[in-house]
Amino acid sequence: MKTDRPPDTVRAYLDALRNALKGSSPGLISDALADAEEHLQGEIASNPDKREAEILASVIETYGTPQEIAEEYKSMETAIAGPFPKPEPKPERHHGFFSVIGDARAYGALMYMLLSLATGVFYFAWAVTGLGLTAGFAILIIGIPFALLFIGSVRILGHVEGRIVEGLLGVRMPRRLPAQTAADERIWSRIVDALADIRTWSSLLYLLLMLPLGVTYFVIAVVGIAVPFALIGGSLASLVSGHSYVQISDVPWLEHIFHTAPGLAFAILVGGALVFIVLHVAKGIGWFHGRLAEILLVRL
Amino acid sequence: MADESPYTRKFRKELMAGLSSLVLLAVLARAGREMYGYEIAKAVKAEGEGGLIFKQGAIYPVLRSLHALGLLESRVEASAFGPPRRYYSITDEGRRALSDWQGAWHDMREFVDDALAAQMSLRGPTLESRA
Repeated sequence: MKTDRPPDTVRAYLDALRNALKGSSPGLISDALADAEEHLQGEIASNPDKREAEILASVIETYGTPQEIAEEYKSMETAIAGPFPKPEPKPERHHGFFSVIGDARAYGALMYMLLSLATGVFYFAWAVTGLGLTAGFAILIIGIPFALLFIGSVRILGHVEGRIVEGLLGVRMPRRLPAQTAADERIWSRIVDALADIRTWSSLLYLLLMLPLGVTYFVIAVVGIAVPFALIGGSLASLVSGHSYVQISDVPWLEHIFHTAPGLAFAILVGGALVFIVLHVAKGIGWFHGRLAEILLVRL
Repeated sequence: MADESPYTRKFRKELMAGLSSLVLLAVLARAGREMYGYEIAKAVKAEGEGGLIFKQGAIYPVLRSLHALGLLESRVEASAFGPPRRYYSITDEGRRALSDWQGAWHDMREFVDDALAAQMSLRGPTLESRA
């Protein structure tokens, strides 16, 4: 508090608090932020005639600086065992190439990739329809409530997606809908607030991005599942029945593989290796998408 | 407040660490209804003669830990616009804890007062020079 300028908006206060809590468990941070936001908005709501900066200046005296509050939460967490959701115990790191076969995270990511086509199409359609209608209604009297409704729906979709991402990709996402502006603010200032909130835009961007990403993920997942199993299944069937089901007339060496027993055994091995590679790829995509969702959907 | 030495601040903080739980249980027991954080903060008389005794922000982590210990119940009331409010109310276990803690606090206060009185009679008025 001595080095920095004291925060003069709720958002700046919350940012400072988040900074001061860096390194604490995510549950602790979200609790502390929710408490601070509730209190600050309460203070603002009960002093409607004062400016936000004035209120914050006095609130820092009574509520405490972000640094002090961060200290309180940290010492509270260490003082009493179990008051806050503990970070989930870190699963033992499996670095081996083959251990991915037992890694639930990889299957979750694969599931997510399959699901993302449907959700991606839906999100995209919703976002584009909403944007279009909002623009169209902007000149009508229902334009403003419609815009508000649309922004609300974007946040709710973002939240729902957050739940899916947490469930399948294992990235901790907010457990409840993001808090919005004070209840007794006028409708216009709500819109201005929502428009000024980077989260609204980043969530919208996420919903739009989900179409290309979803299509890509889906294709990778379907091909990734089909190819190894076709290789293994097809080659096994050829070995057992003695017939070759693969005709590749232009590439003799490939044709050769599918017509000889050692070649077929090799194809089975390749298929088996591909299963592991695909699981690794799925895990990687899951990790990447988790970060992306964290950046775009969780309040910055 | 600003002229308080760092030791005094630390001392206050350590005192409050345990006592704030007692104060909050007492406030909620007296209210006999559920209250949300901001309301509780306003209900707690946080100012003493020496200025602000503790920061209002400090009650929220205490509320959460009391809740985690089962002494308070909580419920979040979401609102479409405006931050959701977390309402707290005291549980039966909380009431039992409150009466136990009150006893502990009376014992403690007596003990501390006795110790301070003994100190006072030894050192005389030098203790007053702080104020």
